[in-house]
Amino acid sequence: MSITNLLNNWSFYRQKRPYQGQYDLNRQYSEYKWAMALDLDICTGCNACTTACYAENNLPVVGKKRFNQGHVMHWIRIERYWDENMGEFPEQGASFLPMMCQQCEEAPCETVCPVGATSHTNDGLNSQNYHRCVGSRYCSVNCPYKVRYFNFWNYPSTAWPAPLPDQLNPDVTVRTKGIMEKCTFCVQRLNEAKSRARTEYRLVRDGEVVPACVQACPTSAITFGNIVDPKSKVAMMWKNQQVDLYKDMQEKDNSVRGYRILEDLRPFPSVMYLERVRDMEA
Amino acid sequence: MVNTYEETEVAVEKRFVPKPLDINADIAWAKINKDILRSLERPRPIFWVIFIASFALFLVGVSCEVYQYQTGLGVANLNNPQVWGLYIATFIWWIGMGHSGTLLSALLHIMHADWRKPIYRYSEAMTTFTLLTAALFVLVHLGRIWQFYYVVAYPNERWTWPNFQSPLVWDATAIGTYLTSSLLFLYIGMIPDLAICRDNAIGIRKKLYTFMSLGWMGTDRQWANFRVTYLTLACFLMPLAVSVHSIVSTDFAASQQPGYHITSFPPYFVAGAIYSGLAVIITLFIVLRYTFRFEEYMTMPILEKLAKLTFAAGMVWTYLNLIEYATTWYGNDMYAKQALIYRATGPFAPEWWMMNFLGSVLPFALTFKRVRASIPVMLFMSIFINFGMWLERWMIISPTLAHGIYPWTWDDDQWPSFVQWGIVAGSFGWFNMLFMLYCKIFPSVSMYEVKEMLHERRFFKSTNVATARDPAINPDLAVEGGLAS
Amino acid sequence: MGRVREGRVLKMEGNPESKISGGKICGLGQAAVQVQYNPDRLTQPMMRVGDSLQPVSWDKAMALLEEKTGPKSGINGNEFAFMTGAMSGHLKVLVQNYLDSLGSKNHFVYEALSPAVSFAANKQIYGVDMPRLHFDKAKLILSFGSDFLGTGASPVHFAKEYAKFRKAPRGTLIQIEPKMTMTGANADRWIPIIPGTEGVLALGVANQLLKHDDFSKTVPADIVNLVGKYDLDTVSSITSVRSDLIGHLAGLLWEKSPSLVISGASVEGHVHGVQNAAAIQILNRILGNVGKTVDGQAQSPFPQLAPATGSFASLKAMNDGMGAGTYKAVFIYGANPVFTTPSFMGFRDNLRKVPFKVAFVNAVDETAEECDLVLPIYTAVEDFGSHVAWYQPEGVEITMQQPLMDKLYSDTRSMGDIMLDLVKQRRADEYKAWPNFFSYLKTAVTNIKPAVKYTDTDEHFWYDTLSHGVIHVDAPQQQIAENFSTEMLDLPTTVNSPDPKFPFYLIPSERHYFRDGRHANCGWLQESPDPLTTVVWDSWAEIHPKTAASMGIHEGDYLEVSSQNGTIKVKAYLFPGIHPDAISIPLGQGHESLGRFAKGVGVNPFKILNPVFEKNTGELAMFGTRVSVKRTGQSEIVVKDEGPVSTQMGRKLVVTLPADVAQLSKEI
Repeated sequence: MSITNLLNNWSFYRQKRPYQGQYDLNRQYSEYKWAMALDLDICTGCNACTTACYAENNLPVVGKKRFNQGHVMHWIRIERYWDENMGEFPEQGASFLPMMCQQCEEAPCETVCPVGATSHTNDGLNSQNYHRCVGSRYCSVNCPYKVRYFNFWNYPSTAWPAPLPDQLNPDVTVRTKGIMEKCTFCVQRLNEAKSRARTEYRLVRDGEVVPACVQACPTSAITFGNIVDPKSKVAMMWKNQQVDLYKDMQEKDNSVRGYRILEDLRPFPSVMYLERVRDMEA
Repeated sequence: MVNTYEETEVAVEKRFVPKPLDINADIAWAKINKDILRSLERPRPIFWVIFIASFALFLVGVSCEVYQYQTGLGVANLNNPQVWGLYIATFIWWIGMGHSGTLLSALLHIMHADWRKPIYRYSEAMTTFTLLTAALFVLVHLGRIWQFYYVVAYPNERWTWPNFQSPLVWDATAIGTYLTSSLLFLYIGMIPDLAICRDNAIGIRKKLYTFMSLGWMGTDRQWANFRVTYLTLACFLMPLAVSVHSIVSTDFAASQQPGYHITSFPPYFVAGAIYSGLAVIITLFIVLRYTFRFEEYMTMPILEKLAKLTFAAGMVWTYLNLIEYATTWYGNDMYAKQALIYRATGPFAPEWWMMNFLGSVLPFALTFKRVRASIPVMLFMSIFINFGMWLERWMIISPTLAHGIYPWTWDDDQWPSFVQWGIVAGSFGWFNMLFMLYCKIFPSVSMYEVKEMLHERRFFKSTNVATARDPAINPDLAVEGGLAS
Repeated sequence: MGRVREGRVLKMEGNPESKISGGKICGLGQAAVQVQYNPDRLTQPMMRVGDSLQPVSWDKAMALLEEKTGPKSGINGNEFAFMTGAMSGHLKVLVQNYLDSLGSKNHFVYEALSPAVSFAANKQIYGVDMPRLHFDKAKLILSFGSDFLGTGASPVHFAKEYAKFRKAPRGTLIQIEPKMTMTGANADRWIPIIPGTEGVLALGVANQLLKHDDFSKTVPADIVNLVGKYDLDTVSSITSVRSDLIGHLAGLLWEKSPSLVISGASVEGHVHGVQNAAAIQILNRILGNVGKTVDGQAQSPFPQLAPATGSFASLKAMNDGMGAGTYKAVFIYGANPVFTTPSFMGFRDNLRKVPFKVAFVNAVDETAEECDLVLPIYTAVEDFGSHVAWYQPEGVEITMQQPLMDKLYSDTRSMGDIMLDLVKQRRADEYKAWPNFFSYLKTAVTNIKPAVKYTDTDEHFWYDTLSHGVIHVDAPQQQIAENFSTEMLDLPTTVNSPDPKFPFYLIPSERHYFRDGRHANCGWLQESPDPLTTVVWDSWAEIHPKTAASMGIHEGDYLEVSSQNGTIKVKAYLFPGIHPDAISIPLGQGHESLGRFAKGVGVNPFKILNPVFEKNTGELAMFGTRVSVKRTGQSEIVVKDEGPVSTQMGRKLVVTLPADVAQLSKEI
């Protein structure tokens, strides 16, 4: 963002985001907005997504000691909660919650980064620029979901004893010490699909590209797609669940399951969760 | 022109009860020079012992930092979510201490509280060095310290700017400005004294002081320019000092983290800064008074005034602290309330209660005159108050980060590793070294202002200088005013 | 399937054309690349010299093999044993052929966690090993300890089926088990029960159902009579399940038809495991589910390719043979019995009695450490092969395995090539047409062509098969019988009564990424938190908080868990999803070998299992061991992903909606 650019487009940069119509199929550079819908009722908590993410995104295995220190790097983690009013036994089972970067539209992490290493892309992703990051970790402090992971160690030198480096995905940077990283919605896959589509004078088709977690999920609990395209499955699901990307709080019917986590903080997340269902009569 | 000294004296003494003397009126001007320049002479062996100890401490910090630089911040035992730890806590502490020096000097200068004169110089120096120390922590806590300059707006071929939305950038800017202005304020205030040094020095020091005193001759014109510049800087620095710590507080207040996201943070931080700054001024007051035998200049009434100010600042801080607890407690923010309860009952409870005791209860001892009059007790008090204020900063950072909005990532177990403690210890070594060098190179008590003070005392034989300056009481000021102010 | 770049395989994916996985993949599948690039992979043949294994060339290794087992060695069939893990497809055929050439019948298939008891029960009742289960058609699944989502036949497939089951109209899942499994964690209702008494509970539920005329007509009168003795109070006191719940379960089963009642490992791993399973299956009969949700699988036209799933009986036979000194040579492939056998068997000592032991491995495991010759073989991503899963939802699916990359180490060889060479030792003429396993497999697979009515050339068929990765064969469905007899169901009312000396029931639980422990040396899997406890890189003992409180146990306290057969020291983890009288230790950790990620991590509960056997099949009763628990006074932090709190602390993170409010049918 040069000063000239800033001055010439002052009103654009001063626009509060997200605004109605920010993403539009007819607008160049805004025809994509990647979003997710995650059904907690059919998520079984099996961790296949986590392992797929390790494989796709070159996540280091940190080992027991560092895991204990809180240095684990799982971009997507499965949280297991017990019910608060649980009696002697968890009679309704556990609640599993896959938590990854929510790619907030008004991301708390973006405003606080002193060097602008994390910023919004045109297709609605919360990007992390590893080369720009100086490692102040302010973004992690301000992330309400705590899904940003900091490279506390120089993992490239320890986490992959030979020949494990042969497995590393060449499309994804291996991060060095001192920088922040997080779920990217597998941006390397998205970019590849976008440029492939561009060479064919079309937009990316629904289902043409999915992140590794979505691809692996045995129950297909995660749906991914371009929410700008009203015919995409994810857009239809959001609409059906009465969750509006541009609204901070949804006003929905009781029977509707869609919600976004910590909406009250107004980060406008791009991941919609569908409530867990339990048969209370059982 | 009509009134004689005697008449003035009678008039003043009739209307005001005499107060304890800030400074003895019978010090000869030559003695002032001699006494204070003596502090610049070849140090005693104990100086080197302490200096080398400080240097060793500094080396400990440097080696910890080198180790951390080589290995990664993991060795500091920081983690997700506790990403800041002692570094940022100690950063706020140092920067807070840096407040009182310049702020007090400028404020009291503007208010013509002349008792500041024997103590402002070293306080300003302290400010400068604490700011330098604090700046170290900004660097130390960075994951990629070698790229710290990304935070600064500098011209580059890619047209990349720092993110001006980020409080960290405000922070860097504010601290940078404050550091520069404090340095200037310190330096300009020092020029007449440097000239005295120049006149008494030989060898390399002579060259240094000659260069630094910028050809000060003590002419009327120089004095007039000097006064205007100094006053302007003082007026500029006052709001700046308030803003700096307010901005530091926005690092926290502008974030979403429960326990940080508090409206009262700016005044709270400023109050805490002044509080701990005053405490450290007392500590250094006692140390310098003892070391350089400055009893005639750093008198007990000044200490008493400092003690009272400290108590006042402590109470403001306590009040704001209690406001924070009360608004959180009675507020509707579940996250913040849980964080508060966690601080008071969780694994950090001992530190938290100690912080409240040292910060809010201990200063009540200052209400006793016997406490204020006892130098050992005051030394003890000032150090413990500052320790309490350090705990306060730590209690802002660690328990809050450990207990954010998201319960899955709460973390009770993190404890700073030896690397963090080492770097914190090293910062003391670094500050000590700088301050000791300063005391041996520059006069730590302002000679010319002490002389001014003496002059006024002799002239008016009154302690209440502010009133004595009132032209209604003292028509002589019509003549003197041109010279003195 | 996998992604390959610059000749290196980077990531595994599910094959979308497979009817079993549907393009999905579990973490174990993902970890195949970590097996491939494992830093502790064996890269060259090793031969025992004195007490240690020393590198040796292939020529020397094969010469030694020839010397000890070749035609000139004079070994006869009875003196030779070949132990493999579960295997299927053409490699299995080749192994059989090799044994035939030796005149040996000693193919011992051993899986520590084999479904043998379940197969035996199904065989008795339905006449088949495994019926096909229709999750999507069931309105209610009543699962007795079946962790179909986590472990068992095909978690990926069943997870897919489970997702269908949960879509509108949403089915209800009730899980009854002593320790919560992943499936239990996803159940609408989870009911803890004393281990081994599930059959009694099933009969109790049956008793309630049979009181109604509609149901009592469905089974013979002698069964109705037999079931009659399992009244509410008796059953409740045996199983520790509240009597009102038993009636409630019966009511739900009545209401939601068709339903599906299934049983799992924790039901079958007891002395009366087959009876337990039968007692549970009788519910399907009573409720008329057979033919609706319980059905026959396709009848495979290629019985020679069908999987051998292994049994404890074959392990025991081999162990006894080794103990008696019968065998002169033993080959071991795909199994790690030194690690997975209980210490009472003395497998390691018996193995040492065999003069010549050969292991075919990717990495040196506990068994290979004991062998005289250890041969490094290709991993799954370097080798050709064919597989047939033992649960086939639609038709019969032959999965093709083909190399995703060239071999990583020049001194490794294909298991198929080695087997072919071995067969050629005695049958060189019959096999001379095939220089390597690839050509053998190609011929063999091409022979399937008529069965799938493929009309193009052989060559086309071969490449088509490889590019799709699977061969679908439409096959007629097996007919299933329904044989229930009173003997099968007559469960004693004294089953699993408490033992004062060993007051706890030991549940050696199967972790979904570790299984019997063969995958323990993958960093990804070690670091993947256990879904329920979120513990990583370790073993732990799950104990109910109530029990722990009464014994003064806190999380991280080291416990001494002792059976008659040994003691292990393991950290406590307070876990509400376990019966208060049970203690659960996960399997798969506690390796003494295998590599840097597995060695020395955790403990191995296999070792302390008691010699308790399922009485019908002779299988080891995995869940039949009783233990005592003692605090050691030591304590260490439990490394886990979970923070200091395990609830949502009033936040709206996971919201639960009652099923009668949700309108899933209106969703997309």
